[in-house]
Amino acid sequence: MVKSLVKKREFTIFMIVVVIAVVIAISNSVFLRPDNIIDVLKSNSVIGIMALGMLPVLISGGIDVSVSSTIALCAVISGKLLTISGANLFVVLIVSIAVGAAVGLANGLIISKLKISPIVATLGTMSIVLGAVLYWTNGEWITNLPEDFKSFGTATVAGIPIQVIIFIALIAVTALILKYTLVGRGVYAIGGSTSSAVRVGYNVDKIQTLIYVFTGMTVGLAAVVHTSIVQQVDPNTFTGLEMDVIACVVIGGASTMGGSGSVTGTVLGVLLMAIMKNGLILARIPTYWQDIVVGLIIVFAVSIDVLNRNREQEKLVRVDVEE
Amino acid sequence: MKAFKTLKEKYANELTLACIFIAVFIILGILAPDKFLTAYNLGSMMSQMPELGLLSLGMMAAILTGGMNLSICYIASLSGIFAAYVLSSDFAATNVGIGIAAAIGAAMLIAVITGLINGGVIAYIGVAAMLVTLGTMTLFQGIATNITQGGAISGFPEEFMALGGGNVFGIPVPMLIYIGAIIAAYLLLERSAWGSRVYMTGCNETAARFSGVNTKATVLKVYIFSSVMAAIGGLIMISRYNSARVDYGSSYLMMSISAVVLGGTSIMGGHGSVIGTVIAVGIIQIVTTGLNVLGINRYLIDIIIGAILIGVLAIRFLSRRLSDRNLVKARAAKVGAQ
Repeated sequence: MVKSLVKKREFTIFMIVVVIAVVIAISNSVFLRPDNIIDVLKSNSVIGIMALGMLPVLISGGIDVSVSSTIALCAVISGKLLTISGANLFVVLIVSIAVGAAVGLANGLIISKLKISPIVATLGTMSIVLGAVLYWTNGEWITNLPEDFKSFGTATVAGIPIQVIIFIALIAVTALILKYTLVGRGVYAIGGSTSSAVRVGYNVDKIQTLIYVFTGMTVGLAAVVHTSIVQQVDPNTFTGLEMDVIACVVIGGASTMGGSGSVTGTVLGVLLMAIMKNGLILARIPTYWQDIVVGLIIVFAVSIDVLNRNREQEKLVRVDVEE
Repeated sequence: MKAFKTLKEKYANELTLACIFIAVFIILGILAPDKFLTAYNLGSMMSQMPELGLLSLGMMAAILTGGMNLSICYIASLSGIFAAYVLSSDFAATNVGIGIAAAIGAAMLIAVITGLINGGVIAYIGVAAMLVTLGTMTLFQGIATNITQGGAISGFPEEFMALGGGNVFGIPVPMLIYIGAIIAAYLLLERSAWGSRVYMTGCNETAARFSGVNTKATVLKVYIFSSVMAAIGGLIMISRYNSARVDYGSSYLMMSISAVVLGGTSIMGGHGSVIGTVIAVGIIQIVTTGLNVLGINRYLIDIIIGAILIGVLAIRFLSRRLSDRNLVKARAAKVGAQ
């Protein structure tokens, strides 16, 4: 039991998270204070939500770089709805998720029906969507959001910010979908081997489209969550966000070759990045160093993962030979 | 006649691209002859294209092996920044010739180091190229920001300006460097033994390895090649802007991938030609500059580039499926006749 737990890939990441947390906690007493932990969780809930959306894409062997443009589109639309027509929060939420789903549907159809590789297809939609957002808004900010939306942004349930609760709820939903639904199992099947998935009887085109729709929906949700935290919309603020999101999922053990990845791993990946950044800030290390540390962590995490897998494979081969 | 036909078949994709290039050029020429067809505009296009072109050639080599080089823009800016450090030193101000040579040497040194890091982890540890270069992209950006503290480095010797802004017989120097790089890339990738190994590795790495190709060394050299192309682009960039900053050229990442894919290189690796990439770079450059000259909003141009990318690939897919179907039909008819 313990042995199989230790062998799991998530365990390695978990240990890294624990070690880093202990080091930061020893060097700085602020780190473990409840308000700091809640702050860290709240400010990383947006990346967390998007990472959960990116996870099925990476498991299926795809990639979606258009999420940073889509979140800008959804945030701008929510912002306009809130300020111009003063729409109800739920209407805004539904519209934002629907817009995200629409972009996801476009991605999914281009990838599954036109057989354009995911990186190229989403690169194209990324450029189209961001171009459209900036043409429409001219890069202008949306401020003066209504008061009741602002109070939603600072709302808490039992001391936990609403954004963190949304993140936790999405963790449960994503885990259930991936583990217990036919589509969820299909995602793993496609990532393992697309042709085998077809032979087993999965409707690969449909599942592939649904994956990108799911990603789009989480991005729509993340847009509203982000707006509720920063209380304004800046269409230019999301540039490069897709790389942060992909990095979290990849550190969590998902491979861009597809077939592997888990919700637990992704959540640990998000936590690792979050406490790392928080630790650097608490230690008053200049922000210029942040990128260097984050870059090194990504390279090391993925390298260690591959080295471990290679070693296990060698062991398997040896067992085969000796028997 | 037969030779012409096989030539046409072999270069079908390049011919289509060349037709698109000529068509776009003519359309823009008709729409705005007084603005687009001026010597100034053509000259400025020729001095801008090399930067995107060099990065695209570097990107193409990585994609040919089935990889990807997301860090390419920050390799360009990092090597540019190291060169800028040498150029802005007191030594370079007094010893111009040696200073410029040392700066170019510094940029090349950074290119080799970054190439060894990328290629080493990708080839010898076996991590997916996309992940490695995602990490090194952040890493190189961090190093570059740390060196410049977010600001710009300037104060280069006058003579260095020639690299980005000079003319030889009316042709901009960057264009001459770019042409040299195109020839070098063509000879290395399509005419050398290493080039064949690159294509073989991209097609099927396992098969290549069992055929006696040292795939690891091949891939390592691909990322060094990629970095060197980026560094030359970086040198042209700092000369053209007369300063070096972290974010110079960061917009070229997505454009260079678009250019490579538009040029017919398969993202899965193993297929693609230098000429295709070069024509695609030309198309992207004249579309961007041309629409700009016509006074079309910058953001609309982004939309158009994205639409062209998806549109061309969609047409390519649909026409291939159509020809496959016709082939099947023709065969079925043949079998039926028998």
